[in-house]
Amino acid sequence: MALTTDEVRKIAILARLRLTPEEEARFTGQLGKIVDYIDQLRQYEPAVQSGGSGTAGPPAEPGHDAEDRVRPCLPREEFLTNAPAALDGFLVVPEVKGSEDA
Amino acid sequence: MPELWELSAEETARRVRSREISAVEVAEAALARTAAVEPLIAAYLAVYDERARERAAEIDRRIAAGEDVGPLAGVPVALKDNLNVTGFAATCGSRILRGYLAPYTATAVARLLTAGAVILGRANMDEFAMGSSCENSAFQATHNPWDLAAVPGGSSGGPAAAVAAGSVPLGIGSDTGGSIRQPAALCGVVGLKPTYGRVSRYGLIAFASSTDQIGPLTRTVRDAALGLQVMAGADPEDSTCSAQPVDDYLGRIEEGIQGLKVGVIREIDSAGLPPAGRENLRRSLDLLARAGAEVVEVSVASLPAAIAIYYVVATSEASANLARFDGIRYGRRAPGAASLADLYFASRSEGFGAEVKRRIMLGTFALSSGYYDAYYGRARAVLERMREELDTAFRAADLLVTPTAPGAAFRLGEKVDDPLAMYLNDIYTTPASLTGLPAVAVPSGADERGLPLSLQLMARPFGERTLLAAARAFEREVGWQVAPRLTTLSAAAADA
Repeated sequence: MALTTDEVRKIAILARLRLTPEEEARFTGQLGKIVDYIDQLRQYEPAVQSGGSGTAGPPAEPGHDAEDRVRPCLPREEFLTNAPAALDGFLVVPEVKGSEDA
Repeated sequence: MPELWELSAEETARRVRSREISAVEVAEAALARTAAVEPLIAAYLAVYDERARERAAEIDRRIAAGEDVGPLAGVPVALKDNLNVTGFAATCGSRILRGYLAPYTATAVARLLTAGAVILGRANMDEFAMGSSCENSAFQATHNPWDLAAVPGGSSGGPAAAVAAGSVPLGIGSDTGGSIRQPAALCGVVGLKPTYGRVSRYGLIAFASSTDQIGPLTRTVRDAALGLQVMAGADPEDSTCSAQPVDDYLGRIEEGIQGLKVGVIREIDSAGLPPAGRENLRRSLDLLARAGAEVVEVSVASLPAAIAIYYVVATSEASANLARFDGIRYGRRAPGAASLADLYFASRSEGFGAEVKRRIMLGTFALSSGYYDAYYGRARAVLERMREELDTAFRAADLLVTPTAPGAAFRLGEKVDDPLAMYLNDIYTTPASLTGLPAVAVPSGADERGLPLSLQLMARPFGERTLLAAARAFEREVGWQVAPRLTTLSAAAADA
């Protein structure tokens, strides 16, 4: 299936990306071509046993959970040295207002 | 007598430990070689001259004091730009992480340092490891040491080019769909993607968490085994890292492949292998047979679907993993945003390059309401099918072989405008990634232009010992001259 410009706009909003008109046009063509290619998966039968209900990745090893206890972690001051804006040990962000789909 | 920069990692460490040479001499030789080749290949985003000298001097002091500094004593390494090392930058080849300084060290790197390695530099990569040519780096294009007009492959193109050009004997890359093996192939070096869970990913900036693995790029199979030996093993900081005991990879690496069954995948041709690749594969199979292996044919009918599966699964995971880059906690923040939402949109749109945007969009699409079952669900289902087919193939064979990439290195710029053509380079490497199998790329000769070709060997999960012994046997049969063009390159550097 080819993607429409409207669909690409909707995906960009979900992905928190703002595209220029030029990007929008280019991505619509490129993503459409890639999605067409991916559509070949319809020709393949799903797995015999699992029916494809697997969630993710290679088989996990059981009994691998971390021990449930408090451990030291990165100190706040060290963490904040990479923050674009910080004040009194907190991250600073713009006012939380306006449309989510800005 | 070879120059110091020509030595393998194993031989370098042996001489440093026995005090035949000093770690400082090794570091100086590596820095001089790097200074000579770097203007041509641009493999590094940063070379740490002073830190490397200081570190080498520390290694020498400890050896002088009688300390055993480990199996990588004084060995210079190039780290891919997506590995965290305390106090070093890590940008993932992206503008969005410009200025970030790692506050902690990746487990794999910590183990290299414990083994005595010296960090020489931070090597270039496709942005967020998304690409097969290194051209998606936001900062620079890296050139292939064998042909400066060609790409080094990707996404670990920087480490691959650095190792091929003799800057370092050991590069550390990450492989999500072929990002160690494909650049190793294009640069004529060895590249190992270990079994999923063999090496801790703690401190590796995530791309697709169900397939990401860290591994070595080297000029010899023995060095790949040494690099893995040092990095492998359980890590409480990474719950996906396996508790399986680590084998002795070097101890039995010369034992050969006598009596092993090597399966060649019947569907390789339908996945689009050009004649030169087919001829090279045929010759490689002859060499494996000469080394004592029995070549059998196996079927993995879903092989031609590997790219379609991979670009759904990996992009879906990437769309989630890269949501963290939003201008709030680290990295680039767009100035002048009017609201929080505006800040997210502006920071991400300015910070990410085109390929990263494309893949985030593709993954967002595949996971979106109304398309999830048809795309993500379908891809997972066909992936399970591929896993079953590979399981069956491994009942008939101990190892599977394919070419590593369909062809040799392509020209810079040749595929940048056609993402799908670029993706198809990963057709033979993605199956091992998707199913978590260990796989290694080994030079298998050259094409008609003299550019390296490569054979990929795959083994059962945690079968690295067998895999590396087979790779070593193949390497011996091929008799690949690892450095012929480096001489030419030095001459070119002298002319320039």
